[in-house]
Formats: sequence, structure tokens, C-alpha cells
Amino acid sequence: VCVPVTARALGDSPASLVPCRLMPVRWSRYNPSYLEPEVKTESYQKPLEELTEEEKEQMELKAVRPIKAAPPTISSSVFSDPMISKFINMMMKSGNKVLARSLMSQTLEAIKRKQLEKYHKAPENEKETIECNPYVIFHQALKNCQPIIGLSNITRGGKTYQVPVPLTDNRKRFLAMKWLITECRENKHRRTMMPEKLSQELLLAFNNEGPVVKKKHILHKMAEANRAYAHFRWW
Amino acid sequence: TLRLVGTTTAVLRKNAGAPGPEKYTEAFIKKQIEEFNLGKRHLANMMGEDPETFTQEDIDRAIAYLFPSGLFDKQARPLMKHPTEVFPEQRKIQWGEDGRPFHFLFYTGKQSYYSLMHETYEKLLNVQKHQDQLIAQDLPLQKEKRNLASSRWLTKIELEEMLLEKVSDDDYSRFIQLLEKLVTMPCADIEEKYIQKFSKEVPVQLQKVVIEPLQYDERGVAFSTGEGKRKTANATAVVYDNGTGKITVNGIDILHYFPVLQDREQLLFPFQFLGRIGKHDMVCTVSGGGRSAQAGAIRLASAKALRSFVTEKEVEFMRQAGLLTVDPRVKERKKPGQEGPRRKFTWKKR
Repeated sequence: VCVPVTARALGDSPASLVPCRLMPVRWSRYNPSYLEPEVKTESYQKPLEELTEEEKEQMELKAVRPIKAAPPTISSSVFSDPMISKFINMMMKSGNKVLARSLMSQTLEAIKRKQLEKYHKAPENEKETIECNPYVIFHQALKNCQPIIGLSNITRGGKTYQVPVPLTDNRKRFLAMKWLITECRENKHRRTMMPEKLSQELLLAFNNEGPVVKKKHILHKMAEANRAYAHFRWW
Repeated sequence: TLRLVGTTTAVLRKNAGAPGPEKYTEAFIKKQIEEFNLGKRHLANMMGEDPETFTQEDIDRAIAYLFPSGLFDKQARPLMKHPTEVFPEQRKIQWGEDGRPFHFLFYTGKQSYYSLMHETYEKLLNVQKHQDQLIAQDLPLQKEKRNLASSRWLTKIELEEMLLEKVSDDDYSRFIQLLEKLVTMPCADIEEKYIQKFSKEVPVQLQKVVIEPLQYDERGVAFSTGEGKRKTANATAVVYDNGTGKITVNGIDILHYFPVLQDREQLLFPFQFLGRIGKHDMVCTVSGGGRSAQAGAIRLASAKALRSFVTEKEVEFMRQAGLLTVDPRVKERKKPGQEGPRRKFTWKKR
């Protein structure tokens, strides 16, 4: 899809190298030679001997190429997590980041409280198995909700078939987060707050129970049932 | 239509496969070159300079002095350049007197491009054969790594100028893919000369930024300033040494000025990255933009100010963490016929 645009809006974008007035729509303000920034301090404190071949090449490349600016959602502190930032962006409505962030922090607090309650009630030998770190619970729950294989609609001879298709990492993460959020928004009592419901769902997903993991299993079963059409995929 | 100086007619014309009647004969261009050289010597004598060592820059300065022009368009002003720069390169006639074309790929329409692909593939097969020979003799394959970072491939426009015919985006990307494949093979050193024709050196030192030295105020405390921009916000930051970690924005403490946690995290980001949270004081002024833009502007300003306090290696780490780059993202303009920058009007069937 091309859009007629004047040259002045281009700036550093790749189209400033092309003297045409029609531009592809998915472009970025950065020149394609700009690389992603690396924010974590640990990667800069590694001594030279520990690096593998690829990392050494990456380092050399980074020394020459320009780097994009770090986005305002991430920082080098221990509290910023890229997955949690993505989840907050997906929960956000109409650009209200303040509300989305506060909901997330309330959710994590609710998870911690529930786990601590369980911890204090549990007998001595079970105390070590109870996980109290809300970040660990969040990551594990997301991992348990990620589907391995997805379905895509392919039309052959007038009929549309659901064909099993491998998913990329990004797509898996997106689907897991999307299912969690839709589940929490729709299937709850009118008076329950989002943090409460989300913390409930996350704890269920952490233990491989709950409606989101069930949805993942249904998707896997459908993919297994439609195995016969797998050869329709051409990519 | 505009005729741009310094580009090839082949690029501007639509079907470049059939060159039209020659606009400038070779004899004409030779005469122009002789006239140019003579004129250069005359000009040098007029300006009182030595005709032997009169460079193109001297010519430009002399012309600007003798014919001052107030025109805004630089290409409309009086110009005296070597004829090869003024008259664009054009292809000679591709066929003989009997009408039979010289090149065997003439009827493909893009003869230079296809012959180039043919040659490159031949080199690839050569390298493969050499590799197979080495494997058959059980000799180790040379693995000298080419420095990927310091060279880049020719751009599409440069390729077009080299081939004197139009190259489409698809064709260009296929050619680059073939070159990449050739380069990644272990025995590619044999064809190094051929590859060098298509690669250019990238200047390694992109911008050697001068880091300002520390200044000292009346109490003897070291400080340094920095400026930052983000969207429409402009900020200046003064970072003092031997501090307690207090940060003041426009005379107000950050807890009151930035009630949102995300903005305060951004302000502390450069200090936390360098591990100097309680060691510096900061006083900043910021104007314009919104809440997040102001925070981003102050972050950039403080990172720039901190460069003076820190070793060069740490400055390089800050640059690789994205703290020292100006964020070029701004609000996209609204287009006519659409409601916003991307949103179209509601589609109505009738």
C-alpha cells in the first residue's frame, strides 16, 4: 500500500534515499542501518574472554553503526521487564498508560498477597514449593498459555480449510497475552476488579489450570484433528 | 520535466533498453573538455593564480566571485564544471549497421543487469569448484573473516549509474542477495577483487563528538550542562558533583512535577545505568511537549551532561544503550482524504 507523501516528512527514513513520491506505509523514522539498543548493564560488564564468536561480531558491528534511542517504557532498573511492558501496552485503552500500569502493579501485589497467605498457612515441608515471586509466576503463566501450533484459513477450490501452521515466538506471546486479557475482561462478574480477576487467572495458568490453558489445549486438538490438511501450507 | 544535473539520462527515461539518437557525439564532448581546460587556464590567469594548480574548488569560488547570483536554487546559478559531470553518461548504440545487436542479452531489455547477474553467478560457481577441490584434497578451508562493519554495498542509484540502465527494487535486492551468498562462502577470497567493485567503505568514526570538560562553580563543585530534545520538548540539565541525588525541574522537586512513576524512572535511567544514583545533584529547566516528552528530553540532557564525568568506555556503553540518541519520532501529519495520519474516513457503500 503506497501513500503519496512530500519529501519533507521523510527525514532519516529510508525513503529519503529514493527520489519518488510514493512510499510504502510500514516505515520508521530511523534509517535501516540503526540497531536496537541494549539496556541491561550485565551485558556490558562481561569480560572479553567470555564472549562467543557471534557476540564478538555483534560488538564490532555495534561499534560502527548508529543506535536507536531507548523507548520511554524500558529502563536499566531491575523493575522494568520487556514482557510486562508489552502486557501493559496491550491492556491499555485509549492511551491511558497510567491506568494500565497501576492495574498491573495492583495485579502483581494481589498475586504476592495470595501466595504469601498460602505460604503462611502451608505446613513446613510444603513451604519451599510455593512460589512467591510475582514476576516468576507471570512469566511461567504466560509460558503455559502459549500455543505451539496455530491454525490459518486457506481457501482451496472455494472451500476454506483450517490448516495447522507453526507460529513465531512473537505471535505465540501475543496470543497468550491476548487470550488472558480478553478472558479477564469478558468472563467476570460486573463488580470484580480487573487486578483481582487477572491475578486469579495468572495463578490458575501457573498451575496449568483455568480457561486460558483450556483454550490452548482446544486449539492444539483442532490442529491435531486437521492434520490431514497440513500439506496445503506452502510456506 | 526537470533535468537533474549529474544523473544519467538512462535513469530518467522510462524504457532504457532502447537508447534514442545520440544527443552528444563523442567529438562534441571532446571539444567541450578541451574548451573547459582552456577556460580553466584563462580563469586562473584572470584571478592571478597558478594555472597548473587550479582545482575545482578554486573554480567554484572564482565563478561565485565573478558572477554573484541571488537565486535560491543552487542548480540555477552559474556553473563551470568538467563536461563529464555536466553531460550525463549515455549508452552507445547497441546494434551495428545491419541492425543486429552486439550483446547476446539485448532482447531481454535489461542487458547490463542480466549480464551482471550471469557474471556474479559464474564467480559463485568458481568459488564452489575451488571449495570442492580443497575438500577433495583434505586441505583446510580458509576462514578469513571479512570486516562486515566497515563496508556497505552499492545503493540502487549507484548501481544504476554503474550499469547505465534502470534497476527495479526487486532486481536490486536479488543482486544484493547473490553478493551476500558469495561473500559468506569460506573461499570467497579468490573473488575479492570482483566483490570490491560493489562495496564501499563506510567512514568508521561517524561523528567524533567533543566531550566538554568539567566546569567548576564558586563553591568549587564540579558541574556540567547538557541539552536534550524529544518531540516538542526542550530541556537543559546542569549536573553537579558531590550531591545527594536531589533532582529539581523548573524549580519544583521531581516528586511534585512528575507524579507518574514512569517519568521518574526515565529521569533516573542514566544515573542507574552508570551506578551513580546518590552521587549527583541535578537542576533542569524544560518547556514544551507533554509529560512523557519532557521526561525524555531531560533524560537526553542529563545523559549528555554525564558524559563529562565518565570514562570514554562508559560513554560508548551509554551510546549502545540508546541514551545518547535523539529520538526522531514525531507526530505524523494528517493527509488529505483521510481523517488522521492513518485512519481513513468511514467507508459508506452509497
